[in-house]
Amino acid sequence: MSNMTAAAPKTRKGFWENMKARKGQRILVIVLFMIVPLTLLAVFTYIPFFEMIRFSFYNMKYGGQEGTWVGLNNYIEVFKRSECFKSLLVSVYYMGGAVIQLALALFFATMFVFNVKGSGLFKGAMFFPYLICGIAVGFIFKFFYARGYVLDSLLQMFGVPLEEIPYWLQDQRINNISLAATSVWRYMGQNMILFLGAMMSVDTDLYEAASLDGANKWHQFRYIILPSIKSIVVLNLILSISGSLSAFEPPYVITNGTMGTGTYFVIMNRLAHENQKVGLACAMAIVLLAIIVLCTVAQNLFFKYVFNDGTEDESKAAVRAKKRAAKASKRGA
Amino acid sequence: MKLKKRLISLGLATAMVFSLTACGKGDGGSQTTGSASGSGDAAAATEVPTIDSITLKTSADSEGDYGDLTASIKILTNRTDIVDTVYKGYAEQFMEIYPNITVEYEGITDYEESLRLRLTTGDWGDICFIPTSVSKEELQNYFISLGDFDTLDGIYNFCTEKSFGGKVYGIANGGTAGGVLYNKKVWDAAGVTELPKTPDEFLDALQKIKDNTDAVPLYTNFAAGWPMGAWDAYTDIVCTGDADFKNRMPHMQDPFAKKDDMTGPYAVYYTMYEAVARKLVEEDPASTDWESSKGAMNKGEIATMVLGSWAVQQCKDAGDTPDDVRYMPFPITVNGKQYASAGGNYGFGINNKATVENQIAAMLYVKWLVDASPIYTDEGSIPARKDQPMPDVLADFAGVELLSNAQAPEGEEDLFDNVNLQSEVGINNDDYPDCEILEAALYGTKTLDELMGEWNAKWTSAQETLGVEVTE
Repeated sequence: MSNMTAAAPKTRKGFWENMKARKGQRILVIVLFMIVPLTLLAVFTYIPFFEMIRFSFYNMKYGGQEGTWVGLNNYIEVFKRSECFKSLLVSVYYMGGAVIQLALALFFATMFVFNVKGSGLFKGAMFFPYLICGIAVGFIFKFFYARGYVLDSLLQMFGVPLEEIPYWLQDQRINNISLAATSVWRYMGQNMILFLGAMMSVDTDLYEAASLDGANKWHQFRYIILPSIKSIVVLNLILSISGSLSAFEPPYVITNGTMGTGTYFVIMNRLAHENQKVGLACAMAIVLLAIIVLCTVAQNLFFKYVFNDGTEDESKAAVRAKKRAAKASKRGA
Repeated sequence: MKLKKRLISLGLATAMVFSLTACGKGDGGSQTTGSASGSGDAAAATEVPTIDSITLKTSADSEGDYGDLTASIKILTNRTDIVDTVYKGYAEQFMEIYPNITVEYEGITDYEESLRLRLTTGDWGDICFIPTSVSKEELQNYFISLGDFDTLDGIYNFCTEKSFGGKVYGIANGGTAGGVLYNKKVWDAAGVTELPKTPDEFLDALQKIKDNTDAVPLYTNFAAGWPMGAWDAYTDIVCTGDADFKNRMPHMQDPFAKKDDMTGPYAVYYTMYEAVARKLVEEDPASTDWESSKGAMNKGEIATMVLGSWAVQQCKDAGDTPDDVRYMPFPITVNGKQYASAGGNYGFGINNKATVENQIAAMLYVKWLVDASPIYTDEGSIPARKDQPMPDVLADFAGVELLSNAQAPEGEEDLFDNVNLQSEVGINNDDYPDCEILEAALYGTKTLDELMGEWNAKWTSAQETLGVEVTE
């Protein structure tokens, strides 16, 4: 006992001394600065996430009482239900939308790189939709597509008779396209700004030099801009594809997931909130997470092998051709 | 020393961050028993009285219980359209009688979903409309008991809906009778002289309206979602005439099967399916708009809507011809007689995590609303108290028997909810299955028999999962 009380002040003194030293101060500052963001991150992201994983093994409802343990049954049911995976097909429309959105964003960003009159105004106008909250965008388009409202009257102004205008939200051949278009409208400006940011870092002398060599604007885009921003294009593509898999707001607000527009998220939401199958919905969320991770990895590999992930200017094909040439010359020698 | 001080203050700061996350739980404990007790009994302030034992004051000067209770209460509502006008007016009237109590309303859009989440925190306010997704056995987790079932059932309508284990946890804000909203002028102009009594007569009448007038025969309000769910309200009493049908359903084999006399839930959905298949509804259900449909109903651009009687007053208020808007019983006849189910609206529940003063003040306000306020005349609904008169809107219901669902047998209070949720047929809670019926009729993808067969299969599989005995 006496030993310990004698020893305690000594170690404490050592601790305080350490803390006063430069190294100790550094650790202290790092820990103190990190503690708030880490706490927030843990409380609002990691704890709920691990709870969700736990819930996915239970059969439970909302409310206080604990559910019953069902093991992997929820996962088995996710794979048994046809509607869960059918809804992933709806995401294909949003992926198609994502590709168009990236192409448009690249096009506009390239235009703005070369001096355009009033570019500030146009940039602002195109970025603006991104600032509106998704639910509001939904309501805007609900009335935009409604029979006889904005879009229909616009088309009628151009002389299209009402009978020939399709039902934008009812016709199952086009309603998913209508909905995907709303997310293109919303996110295109944001993608454009990201591309523009990357393009700004390209040395403008290059354009001048290239045009002296007789390169037109397409050549400049193809051989200067695109290679320089390849990694950001790949990043945007990955983000858009995983975003398409988890599309929620347009179908939820505009059609409530009816008429064949229910995406995976809408179905998950219905199971969790309308039918209170919280465990099943959690399992669905985790399955979707796995799918997104798989897609991302697959995309990464694809770009790595096809385009070298944008880190190299030469494509695989060029490298192969060079190797073949080297081999041939060796054999010749 | 300086460093030590800093460390201490930092420790405090971290402690505060952590306590933020835990603050939902702490509030209930700090109940003070100071200011209350108007009835003269000091012990009463720590205990919340039952709603029937309170005597209300009728004006600021009159005698009554808890006259000098001081509290500030918050009440949540889904009626965002009138929360700042009509409901605020009620609060002001109440505050004149009880000047020490402050009542504040909060309107919530997307009421069901947001409240469902807020309830679990315990820190949402004092009074709310109990969300329909809270099952009976969960009531006691969130709300205080308002009194014994046996006592309150003699005073108030619809007590069975929010009671569990012999206690009542919510009193309905009046009630509605299930029927069909129609514009009498349009129906007369179409040459329909007698109100239809069966689904086929109803469909014939709609056909006449389509042929003879410009009005939309039946407006589904599909895009809003919930008006489709409203069809579920006719699947118990209206189509069977049996107050116990909802309690029997969990034990039934194939409750959605077709019956030869055109009764039962099948007949209700048959009406919807056929109306859509025969193109007697609006041109594009995907782009309907609820707010403007009320005005169109009033003006006679819409002939019929299938909604609860609460919608009558809203449609009357939406235009210049309120007298054209009428309400008729749902067109199903069981053994020569028509029935209508009278059900409660959202029920008022009081937060069991609030302080005792707030609970008592909330109890006073709820009692004043359901007993003394003009809310039921204003909304044209069936009053909460059994001894108050029926509204004028139900004039067409002469000869129709009004029933409300019977109390479930002991131990089975939750059974219908459980089978219903497990099966995902979603009666009265999920609108999507009803939307599917309309879609199937619109696109011609499935027949009604196929759909109802699917529902029966889901129902059976839910019964198996939950181990419910199938007896009929």
